[in-house]
Amino acid sequence: MDEIVRQLISRRRFLQVAVASGVVAACNPTSTGGGAPTQGASAPAGGTGGSAPASGGAVSGTITVSYPDEAGLKPKYVEQAAAAVKAQFSGADVKIDLQKIGDDDYYTKLLLALDSNDAPDVFHVGGSLIGELADASYIEPLDDYVSQWPDWSQYPDAVRSGVTYKDSVWAIPYGLDMRWLYYRKDDLQKAGLPADWQPANVQGILDAAAAVKAANEPNVLPYALYAGPAGSSGTADHAFVPLLWAYGGELQDKDGKWIGDSPATRKVMAYYQKAYDGLSPKEILTETKPWTAMREKLGNGQLALLFEGGWVYGGWASADKAATEKNVGYTLHPTESGGPSFTIGGPGTCWYISARSANKQGAWEFIKAFNTAEIVGKLNAEDPHPVARADAAKVPEFASSPYLVASTEALAKAKFTSPDPAYSKVIEAIQKATARVAAGELGPDDAAKRYTDDLTQALGADNVTSQ
Amino acid sequence: MAIGRRRRLARNGLYVAGLSPAAFLLALFFVGPALWALASSFTNRALVGIDAANPRFVGLDNYARLFGDPDFGRVILNSVIFVIGSAIIGQFVLGLALALLLDHAQRRGFLATNLVYASVLLAWVNPTIIAGFLWVAMFDFYNGSLNTGLHQLGLGPVDWLGKGPMLAVIIANIWRGTAFTMLIFLGALRTIPSDIYEAARVDGANAFRRFWDHTLPILRPIAALTLLSVTMATFGTFILIQTLTNGGPAFQTEVIALYAFHEAFQAHAVGYGSTIAVVMLALNLSFAIVFLRWSRARA
Repeated sequence: MDEIVRQLISRRRFLQVAVASGVVAACNPTSTGGGAPTQGASAPAGGTGGSAPASGGAVSGTITVSYPDEAGLKPKYVEQAAAAVKAQFSGADVKIDLQKIGDDDYYTKLLLALDSNDAPDVFHVGGSLIGELADASYIEPLDDYVSQWPDWSQYPDAVRSGVTYKDSVWAIPYGLDMRWLYYRKDDLQKAGLPADWQPANVQGILDAAAAVKAANEPNVLPYALYAGPAGSSGTADHAFVPLLWAYGGELQDKDGKWIGDSPATRKVMAYYQKAYDGLSPKEILTETKPWTAMREKLGNGQLALLFEGGWVYGGWASADKAATEKNVGYTLHPTESGGPSFTIGGPGTCWYISARSANKQGAWEFIKAFNTAEIVGKLNAEDPHPVARADAAKVPEFASSPYLVASTEALAKAKFTSPDPAYSKVIEAIQKATARVAAGELGPDDAAKRYTDDLTQALGADNVTSQ
Repeated sequence: MAIGRRRRLARNGLYVAGLSPAAFLLALFFVGPALWALASSFTNRALVGIDAANPRFVGLDNYARLFGDPDFGRVILNSVIFVIGSAIIGQFVLGLALALLLDHAQRRGFLATNLVYASVLLAWVNPTIIAGFLWVAMFDFYNGSLNTGLHQLGLGPVDWLGKGPMLAVIIANIWRGTAFTMLIFLGALRTIPSDIYEAARVDGANAFRRFWDHTLPILRPIAALTLLSVTMATFGTFILIQTLTNGGPAFQTEVIALYAFHEAFQAHAVGYGSTIAVVMLALNLSFAIVFLRWSRARA
């Protein structure tokens, strides 16, 4: 146990340092992320060095590929990758199962399929789930595959370590997660704030929200802060966790124990109480997928402030690029003292191979065909994420976007959550705690104490501590 | 003895043969899963993590955790309020009232009877998830019909699901489920011959006395069964609530079935979720025993 914890901690620190040097370099056209020769943007799918570690022979049979997509941006690239596999291996067929449902629903369906030995060969879920999927023996380690894949050298160490758990690589990411504090320049200006507004500290967000509220613009919500189970993982990644870090807190202590009640936790809860005292709408607690409404509102100026995933910018830009560039500002998350601002990073959605797949080599060929520099660059330009492989940053569609360049640079200031298999349970406890304060059921101090109780309930007393 | 048994078997053979497919299906789809849940409740079975790969027997740990769970009391209380509000007061009483009115209207040959009948049935023939979304469309803060209507009248939006979440889900469930009790009662009312009422009327009994002395005693056995079935169905329902509030805000509408679902499929703790389901099953069984005794005692 201790060894694992040490690995996680050193891994996270490593990630922070490595991101600064690796991915940022990827955006700089004069530098390449790795030493090995690149296959270039138009490299044929499959590559030359991607021979099978196990069989070594040609790929045949059916490869089942399953992925969720509500936005509709991925199908053409999945089909392109499938066509490339079929063109390269005449005996292979690719069966694509596109699920037009949300990520949470997809994950539940997938787990039930994995549990009943009915999983697809390749599937597509968040990289933060690597720990719990690997521990359950659902997924195949990819070390033997990537070691024979020349393109792997294009993946900066930071990205590699983001998909490494217990010394193995488990998934291949295409785009990384990062988040921004978005603000509407037009709404803030009407409230007497500058168009290039920057929060001086965490309190600065609430102050700006209060100014927007005081300006009393019709149909403009000041601020949206995700809370409760309705906010899904956004309650943790887009609200509680960055706030906790902003107040100098951590999710886990040095021994890997999850921290419940602490001075920082109480400050976060007090922040929630202030935000839900008329600044952030309570409907977030009961709306089905509240982020849908909040993202839409920020995009059309009906919401002034929102901390959200970098990828949501794509929806606004595709609806009205000029208006988005004019009115939507983005900045890093401030800290309590006004110290260095930061963002929260993650490995994004990744491709995995099922441990019980009967066609692992075929599955790997599909993953390689999807993760060419060309597809990775184009897809991330449409669905804005910093690219996972360095050479994809040179794809013109990606390199020409100032927003994507800024997002990639921001990764240097990103902190990452742990791929610990317990993190899902911690998110549930976070959802309960934030809902209690937001709904006005408990005050900040009591909610922080209940957070310890909920963590203890879910993880056992040995794994939880208070400060 | 042996001959008697054989003769009895021969006599009942046809019944046994007729019942066995149903018994087999019930065993396969109800008894089997219930036993599986009971077995799971003694393990730490999970959908993710090490417990998914190697589930262990944990004895009564899950039960100890559940009864020490600070949210469990709240969940039980929510379930009781939901069942009393939507099943007993709502569906049962309203269903009976609707059945009496419709029966009366039919006996009198009122024209609009079938229209009312059809509109109540429409709520019931919808799948629950559709009914849920219909009410989301009604209650939704930003785009819901209620707030759009208020806006037309120049009134501010109301956070229906935030301010009165339990009332909102109770209303939705009453709307959805009333047709079932109405249908059962309407069927029972049809079996009452009109001459009973005519005789009562000749004797000078008013409407209330006719209901109290004649209708109610005839309906009593069926009422007990209806009450039992709506109580148990309501106790086990969660899709409507999941669609409307998903248990929120802050556990205010988290009922026991939803809690079991959340623990098993959102927290991925199948063992713990099964434990909640087993407790739910035990509570439902105790309801069944109480109701059936009550109906036998009175019938």
